[in-house]
Amino acid sequence: MSVLAPIICDNGTGYSKVGFAGNSDPSFVFPTAIATRGPAGQSSRAPAVPSKPGHLASKRGVEDLDFFIGDEALANARTPGYGVHYPIRHGMIDNWDHMERYWEQTIFKYLRAEPEDHYFLLTEPPLNPPENREQTAEIFFESFNIKGLYIAVQAVLALAASWSSNRVTDRTLTGTVIDSGDGVTHVIPCAEGYVIGSAIKHIPIAGRDITKFVLDLMRERGETAAIPPEDQLRVAGKVKENFSYVCQDIVKEFRKFDTEPYKYFERYDGEHTVTGRKYSIDVGYERFLAPEIFFNPEIYSSDFITPLPEIVDDVIQQSPIDVRRGLYKNIVLSGGSTMFQHFGNRLKRDLKQLVDRRLDASVLASGSVLKSSGVEVDVISHKRQRYAVWFGGSLLASLPEFYTSCHTKAQYDEIGPSICRRYQIFGSAT
Amino acid sequence: MILLEPHNVVIQTTLGEKVLKPSSLDVAFVDYDGVRFHLSTPERKTLLLLSMHIRCWDELVQYGALDVLQREYGVLLQPQPEPEYSVSLVIDLEQVPATTEERDAFILSIALFKRNALAAPFESAFRTQKQLETAGTGQGELMQIHYRDEEAIYIQASPDRVTVIFSTIFSDETDRIYGKVFLQEFVDARRQPAIQNAPQVLYSNRDPPLEIRHLRDLRNTEDTGYVTFVLFPRHFSPANAAATISHIQLFRDYLHYHIKCSKAYMHSRMRFRVAEFQKVLNRAKQEVVVTERKTVTGRTMSTR
Repeated sequence: MSVLAPIICDNGTGYSKVGFAGNSDPSFVFPTAIATRGPAGQSSRAPAVPSKPGHLASKRGVEDLDFFIGDEALANARTPGYGVHYPIRHGMIDNWDHMERYWEQTIFKYLRAEPEDHYFLLTEPPLNPPENREQTAEIFFESFNIKGLYIAVQAVLALAASWSSNRVTDRTLTGTVIDSGDGVTHVIPCAEGYVIGSAIKHIPIAGRDITKFVLDLMRERGETAAIPPEDQLRVAGKVKENFSYVCQDIVKEFRKFDTEPYKYFERYDGEHTVTGRKYSIDVGYERFLAPEIFFNPEIYSSDFITPLPEIVDDVIQQSPIDVRRGLYKNIVLSGGSTMFQHFGNRLKRDLKQLVDRRLDASVLASGSVLKSSGVEVDVISHKRQRYAVWFGGSLLASLPEFYTSCHTKAQYDEIGPSICRRYQIFGSAT
Repeated sequence: MILLEPHNVVIQTTLGEKVLKPSSLDVAFVDYDGVRFHLSTPERKTLLLLSMHIRCWDELVQYGALDVLQREYGVLLQPQPEPEYSVSLVIDLEQVPATTEERDAFILSIALFKRNALAAPFESAFRTQKQLETAGTGQGELMQIHYRDEEAIYIQASPDRVTVIFSTIFSDETDRIYGKVFLQEFVDARRQPAIQNAPQVLYSNRDPPLEIRHLRDLRNTEDTGYVTFVLFPRHFSPANAAATISHIQLFRDYLHYHIKCSKAYMHSRMRFRVAEFQKVLNRAKQEVVVTERKTVTGRTMSTR
């Protein structure tokens, strides 16, 4: 029998992306939520105990099977008796009981795969403690008896996903990853497949903040009067996704909008979810102002005011000197909030300016004796940015080397969970 | 979730999306028992090609799978399957029923592709039983479906019943123990008054049941188990037959799913216990009492 496609499972804080290697999109994307019996607050409740002595299931009941995951979990959030839990916090697994059951249903109900026949590729956030990786291996090898396991760092997979872009000529695993999802934006430098942990930076601005900012802008202009209150956030999200783009010069853009409003203003048509009443709103400056908060955060928040290009520059400057060129040359975008049009161009331009200014200063400081040959700065955008991590996993797992880099069940039985402490980088040309 | 669902969720969700918004597509996915699917749009966006690869396709054809699929899908069934796959369907999104209910029913029927293919030997056995019942004597042919590498389903019709035997392999030592307890319980559960009408279940480890003992290619190892279901005509009356087939063909996966669930349950008990013990141990920790210590002359010692 030919080997069945490996399963790629990217469990994020908000959403889980699962599917089979070789495909270009995950088969399922659903919230990482589990609805179990009992109130939501208590997460460390004891599991059900048999009410009568003995270990027959007929005496114990099947409470442990009574749960929902993903969209069904959220749909059941209001059902009396159920509580929704989010087993992943800040990218790391928080509640192993829930996570184990979450995986159980992902595999058996959604993917309909026999875990014994498949290899698995899982993802972990950068700086994940090795103990977590061991726990994961324990669950997958001992509960599910999977054939083989590979745990990859999300940032490295995002780098691998950029190989699909036609601008990438060499398959390198050195680069800076800008991962912006719903909650937080991370800037992660990777050198030859290893994350430079000390230089990672987090930015508290991401998708959710952009949506909120769009909503604020629309509210100030009085557009929201037409939208039913419960739909406002959703409409703002839609406006952000459908109309927003990154401009090159904010002043010129304002002038363009003011001189020819009919050309640049857009209309959003919505329908009230309950009454079915139609409404329509104008979409104006928020089209280019929304993603602008990455580049000029002071227009949105007063406590965080460092622009994204500056942070990227900081991160690269904090990395070892011998990889900096590689990091500047290969800046990769990943996650839904990097999908704005021209986002890459703007980032590249701003970063290039920062770098050139520094080079000029150093030329001046040396008395114009030493001249730099210049630093190449390139930001790579590609079509698969939204699920870049998953796609990178799918790409790597379809390589033939994947099977040799995996930890197999036999190796696990021989050595134990500590096998996952080391992991092998593969797939890059270097 | 106690029972596994008979339909494939990937097919259901993908078709549901594509009916509303056709776009080009090329995905490969799997189902239980090593079944591989390939869903693609080779010609145009509204023409979907769904191909399935089943390991035991030749055996299924022999037991009339093509007739069953022809009955279920009619013109959708392709005479020539896609290369590397056993059987193909072509779904024209422009021909899909218009009303929501009909459309959902249509999509569900497509999602039951694998179930319908595997239903053929069961339906044939049920028919044979009817014939034998009127004849009064005889035995139906022993149908073997090698649906996995080392595991098979055996189906035999008799004048008064249909016997279905599953052979299963436990790849892991722990799984074998769990499986044994679980199957023993399956056998025991039937004694409860509420489920007296359920089919009779017999379980044997290592020794194959008498019906298939004459077969030569049986594995005779410690990790093999045989589960026998005895279905009586009331289980496959026209009203029940479809549900019976859906449930019984997923039995092996159902068994392994529950073994995994029991393990997960055990693990959560263990985690809870460890946390409790940890609390007890922490209670036993002695508090370090900080007292001022003095020398004979009354000077205090200071730690540097």
